[in-house]
Amino acid sequence: MLLPLLLAGGGSCADERARRGERTLVAAIGGDPGHLNPAITTNGGVHYAAGLLYNGLLTLDSALAPRPELAERWDVEEGGALYRFHLRRDVRWHDGNSFTAADVKFTFDEMLLKFHARTRASLGAALLRVDAPDDSTVVFRFRRPYAPLLQQLDVVEAPILPKHVFAGSDPLRNPANRAPIGTGPFRFVSYGTNGEIRYAANHEYFRGRPALDAVVLRVIPDPGTQVIALEAGEVDWLFSVPGPERERLRRDPRFRLIQTTVNPGGSNCITTVGFNLDRAWFRDVRVRRAIAFALDRQQFLERVSFGEGRVADAPISSRIGFAYAAGLPVPAFDTVRATQLLEAAGWRRIGDGVRTAHGVPRIADGTPFVISFSALPGQSNYGDLLRAQLHGVGIDLRIRTLEQAVFSQAVFTARDFDTAVASYCNGTDPEIGVRRQYVSSSIAPVPFSNMAGYRNAVMDSLFDRAGSALAVDERCRLYRAIQEIAVRDQPYVWLVETINTRAHTVRCHGFGTSSHFAATAQCTR
Amino acid sequence: MNGSFVLRRLLQVVPTVAGIVLVGFLLIHLAPGDPILALAGEHGDAEYYAFMRHRFGLDESVPRQLATYVGRVASGDFGFSYVHGRSTSSLIMERVPATLLLTVTALLLAVLVGIPLGAIAAQRPHAARDIGISGVALGLYSTPVFWVGQLTILVLALALGMLPVQGMTTAGSALTGGAHVLDVLRHLALPALVLATQELAVLVRLTRSNLIDELSRDHVRTARAKGATERTVLLRHALPRALLPVITIIGARAGHLIAGAVIVEVVFGWPGMGRLLLASLQTRDTPVLLGLFIVVSLAVVSVNLLTDLVYAAIDPRVRLR
Repeated sequence: MLLPLLLAGGGSCADERARRGERTLVAAIGGDPGHLNPAITTNGGVHYAAGLLYNGLLTLDSALAPRPELAERWDVEEGGALYRFHLRRDVRWHDGNSFTAADVKFTFDEMLLKFHARTRASLGAALLRVDAPDDSTVVFRFRRPYAPLLQQLDVVEAPILPKHVFAGSDPLRNPANRAPIGTGPFRFVSYGTNGEIRYAANHEYFRGRPALDAVVLRVIPDPGTQVIALEAGEVDWLFSVPGPERERLRRDPRFRLIQTTVNPGGSNCITTVGFNLDRAWFRDVRVRRAIAFALDRQQFLERVSFGEGRVADAPISSRIGFAYAAGLPVPAFDTVRATQLLEAAGWRRIGDGVRTAHGVPRIADGTPFVISFSALPGQSNYGDLLRAQLHGVGIDLRIRTLEQAVFSQAVFTARDFDTAVASYCNGTDPEIGVRRQYVSSSIAPVPFSNMAGYRNAVMDSLFDRAGSALAVDERCRLYRAIQEIAVRDQPYVWLVETINTRAHTVRCHGFGTSSHFAATAQCTR
Repeated sequence: MNGSFVLRRLLQVVPTVAGIVLVGFLLIHLAPGDPILALAGEHGDAEYYAFMRHRFGLDESVPRQLATYVGRVASGDFGFSYVHGRSTSSLIMERVPATLLLTVTALLLAVLVGIPLGAIAAQRPHAARDIGISGVALGLYSTPVFWVGQLTILVLALALGMLPVQGMTTAGSALTGGAHVLDVLRHLALPALVLATQELAVLVRLTRSNLIDELSRDHVRTARAKGATERTVLLRHALPRALLPVITIIGARAGHLIAGAVIVEVVFGWPGMGRLLLASLQTRDTPVLLGLFIVVSLAVVSVNLLTDLVYAAIDPRVRLR
């Protein structure tokens, strides 16, 4: 009945494009972010959706080096305990008001240091105060020299919001969270109930007017449907492509893929298996090293990560050039070594069955080596391969797949797990994303903290020194020492440095990998 | 219609919804998972999570949180969404029209196609067209909604390029009036079709078996003996009686329809309550979840009430007391 009418009135995808305008980019996002204030949350969904609206004091280039954004230059004084930023004077908010140093101070004091979990945890502990001595100067004063500040001022870690909109309100409930005012390359137009958020180009953007007229963010929860929508010409940009679909899109001339380790939710991530060191099995470092030797990480890269990314050969991501230590004696795949270590630790095997304990401290003789492995739904395929590989050395792994909210609680709050897999995003400086994984003060009911429950006073003090050392050589030396200890003690097994794949139609090009991905993009036809 | 019957049925809604609020509240709180971790994101410190927990009143005991919540709901306040930072009732009400449009269209499709197909099949049981119709209905009934959805997208949308695959409108379009209506209808076609399949299959099978039963009864034989045409026999004598249990089943399956809508909305990116339900479940957004439970249960209870009333109107043997 209706069908012929619908089909007749429908037309092709090309018509759809004409309807929405050539210079409009449609990007798919996985969920309704709820609000568009990135200063009050580290939720990746909000940052993906809202990044285009705002700026940080600085931005990070593709090599993760700080570059001017709202601040045009800066001075580091008092041996790294004081940073002075000189702001641009030509920046206006989307509502026409001038941007000043008071906005920066307000955003840090009332939003970032209260509600942005990462900035609050890392910067908040070291910061004494933020001052705005005049309209175009901001001063950060620290208790002691603080090295990583310049890596923590981009739009993801420290977006700047307008004081005149938020002053005197509850930042969590301010209506501007859904009708935001920023300084970024795009300005807010509408937040539709039809699952669509619309932005228009900011013609007054201080870094130059974007080539696109508009960006439409479309909520498509199912990743498979996102890919189909791209193929059907209904969307132009995907922030991520599921592994099995990448090869198909790569071969299709209508699309281009972009690979990056930078993400609003966290950059430079390493998929890591953690041992719960409170469990008797893992008290003995020989057992932990045996498991590390039993794992063929190349297979994880090929089979689980579809060959994208690289095998992790150090505890710190190779993308953080100054901190990554090459050539460490990380256990390579060697089942003979694994077997020797397990035998030496008292885990004996008869035939090809499961090993049992013989004189292992705190474990009754005859106990079989059966351990659980907790994983998020998206990472349970790591468990399948892990289980197969550990079976080869006589360890029986039981996989528990837990959804996000349950995983965080079971692993980090209740510490009810034997082994678990997590993606630890190292960020742009080890202070941001590596420290929390190793220092004893970070054994806390907090997601992605010190999962292993690893305690080492030497490690703690090395991290403290590395965080306040200003000279890169010095930091490099300290992080190398840290990684040597981590490899020796093996509280974790570092599997794969993962990489993210974005996809876009060939009619658009010029995308960046940062939160301002569409600021330099152009679409034709 | 009997007024006191309607009133009595309406009053029964109150304990039903109260029970759903109580069970829903306890289930959400007994289930593992902490809304603060989902809300505040990773990387925080313990102090930060404690601070956020306090801000949202999650540091209080469960009975106390329940009492606060019930008190608010009684005064018409469904609370504040943790994730969206705004009132739960406006959040849910925004999504009601989309879900209503989807489910009502699917139901109409199922009824308008399913009942005639069932009737056609019943006219000549075990003939070729009956075997064809029943076979397809059985196939549709046994296939999961999400699979039918993916397959329909692949064939109708991607391979043939006939219909859009996601959303309720063309992304970024500024259509108004008739063009807008047509745009929404085009987007509605696939999800409504997919959601309708299982209901349609149920109605075909039910109509067919009831009608076959009815056509062999004495009153039908009498009607035929009196010289009534086959058309009159079917439409006047057999079908109305055969449809009585069908009406009951349509009402009873309202819950199935809404459950199906959750999956269909996620697969097709349809901006309704089902998608909100899944997202709120994943983030443990308790106020939104409870609000949705209440809205959905009210809808199911109302549909059941409506079914009873329609039933009474159609069947003079049923007297409401």
